[in-house]
Amino acid sequence: MTVTPPTAKAVTGGRPVPPSGWLGWVTSTDHKRIGVLTVGTSLVLLLAMGILALTMRAQLAQPEQQLVDTHTFNQLFTIHGSGMIYMVVTPFAIGMGVYLVPLQIGAPGIAMPRLTLLGYWLYALGAAVMLAGFATPLGAHADGWFSYPPMADSIHSPGAGSDLWIAGVFLATTGTIVMGWTVLWTVLRKRTHGMTMLRLPLFSWSMIATCLMVIGAFPALLAALGLLAVGRADPSIFDHNVWNIGYQHLFWFYGHPVVYVMFFPYLAAVAEVLAVFSGRRFFGYQGTVLSLLVFAALSMSVWGHHMFATGQAANDYYSLTSIALLVPAGVEYFSMLGTIAGGRLRFAPPMLFALAFIPQFLIGGLTGIMVGTPVIDYHVTDSYFVVAHLHYVLFAGSAFGLFAAVYFWFPKVTGVMLGHRLGRLHFWLLVIGANLTFLPMFALGYLGMPRRVSTYAAFEGFGWLNLLSSIGAAFLAAGVILFAVNVLWTLRKRTLGRAEKAPDDPWGGHTLEWATSSPPPRLNFTPEHPVPPVTSFAPLLDLRQRQEVTAVDRSPS
Amino acid sequence: MKRHLPFVVVAGWGALNGVLLAVLAVYGESSMVFWLWGGAVVLLALVALAVLAACRSGPDQHVRYRVPDRGAGAVVPAAFGLLLVALAFVYGLWLLALAGPLLLVAVALAVRGTTAREE
Repeated sequence: MTVTPPTAKAVTGGRPVPPSGWLGWVTSTDHKRIGVLTVGTSLVLLLAMGILALTMRAQLAQPEQQLVDTHTFNQLFTIHGSGMIYMVVTPFAIGMGVYLVPLQIGAPGIAMPRLTLLGYWLYALGAAVMLAGFATPLGAHADGWFSYPPMADSIHSPGAGSDLWIAGVFLATTGTIVMGWTVLWTVLRKRTHGMTMLRLPLFSWSMIATCLMVIGAFPALLAALGLLAVGRADPSIFDHNVWNIGYQHLFWFYGHPVVYVMFFPYLAAVAEVLAVFSGRRFFGYQGTVLSLLVFAALSMSVWGHHMFATGQAANDYYSLTSIALLVPAGVEYFSMLGTIAGGRLRFAPPMLFALAFIPQFLIGGLTGIMVGTPVIDYHVTDSYFVVAHLHYVLFAGSAFGLFAAVYFWFPKVTGVMLGHRLGRLHFWLLVIGANLTFLPMFALGYLGMPRRVSTYAAFEGFGWLNLLSSIGAAFLAAGVILFAVNVLWTLRKRTLGRAEKAPDDPWGGHTLEWATSSPPPRLNFTPEHPVPPVTSFAPLLDLRQRQEVTAVDRSPS
Repeated sequence: MKRHLPFVVVAGWGALNGVLLAVLAVYGESSMVFWLWGGAVVLLALVALAVLAACRSGPDQHVRYRVPDRGAGAVVPAAFGLLLVALAFVYGLWLLALAGPLLLVAVALAVRGTTAREE
């Protein structure tokens, strides 16, 4: 007798078969899948952008090298900068929000999931379009990540590569705005019973501040790109100064808040890691929440400090607001220090990255105050000092937060633990590499090396500092390769069933995502893994403390 | 008040932007800057109103959720359609002839609820 196996349709009660495999991934409305797609895409692009950076550091390691020509070098720094900001650090931050926010607020999904998925696709296709510029006859766009006109118009920058850059960045930014909108709506309107606004985890609060900036500031970039596209069709527009300066205002109205979009989620991830690995509730929760919102609003008011040297901005105002940023930043820093002071510290890889974030980002922040002061900015503008400052903010700061977040939440996302030994090695290589690469750049800039030069003469005396910087870049490359190996090896072992299984809460987490299984089920929480009572911004810590009290009460004295 | 806290957060944040913009007026800037930042403040006010409307029409916290359980088959053709629209500005408007049908397919898929329920 032969038995026909039940068809898939029969198994699903006559409903259409849910897509599986890659089709299931790319059409899923599950916020976790969309989040993993976003984060995974940005990590792949991180590797690609790293290769561009290594090529530049190889070119600059010695004076008067000709590894790549000037036009190619211009393409490298343009796509590296554009890629890292538009396609890696910003989307990764929003992708973390897509994955984590519904879990942290106890919701079964994200608001407007189809729109969220559309946002991911626009981002991914935008990245592909921008990179496609390399395949055009004149190469990729070559005018830097902010692409001021008239240099970026079609007379000075001919070729389809620049047009593809505009189209790609436009698509990706539209996708980011869409994802930011759905994350904001989720955290404001989809909270579970008991999750009041003042019980939101810090990471979710950081996403509120981040997404408000995305909605308020990112449309200005779309307008700037639109202006540039029109100007490329009719370059005479940029004969008028108002549109050149107008472009700079439009661009930097986006371009400064985006720095905080690339900062707050990582700062909050670090804050969560510090609290968990110190075994303490986060110190100064309400003050930190308020400072995040004030910080975000102030960050909308400082864009003109990027235009000090134009002489066509209200320098006094922008300098004042830039320096005022110190106040909320200080509150956040002292809250982080207050959290670890007196805690029982555990030095697992997420904690190592979180601890290194604190002093390294401080260097980036304080040098930001320096360049936010016109008298210093006039001296170092468009020099390597600025390159050092922004890399301390975005790599030594945000990227360390990014890696802290990856090591922290990897077990929750995948159900397996990342290798700790490789993680520690990755950390030390990155600490050495980041500081060896970017610290000499401060000196280079102060000594007068302009940014974006493809080579320099031996007599200028920049050689040994550049060599140090390039050696540091090799450490960074080794660290990132180790990280990639660690992730791929762990995922391979998971496929083979040999990886170390992650428990639901491997670190003793404080927030709701650690109450569900690793990885979480489709709708996040199940009767076997229900949402626990939400009693504060650290509900799982409350639960453990109540259980400890109960255990003490019950123990025979 | 507690029920409307999400609205207060968004509206308050937009208002803080408005205050900072007003301070900028004391220092003086080109009119374009006021249109730019003022536009952002108006956009944030609209977001705040949307949040207020949602707060008034539903609970602040949820016990039951309406979760879309169908996959999003329309999304991929929609995204590729928009990609072609963007590329039309690079390679010529003839690409709109390809983008249009793709976007129509996406609309049809969205209306029909194409893909299966996710388990």
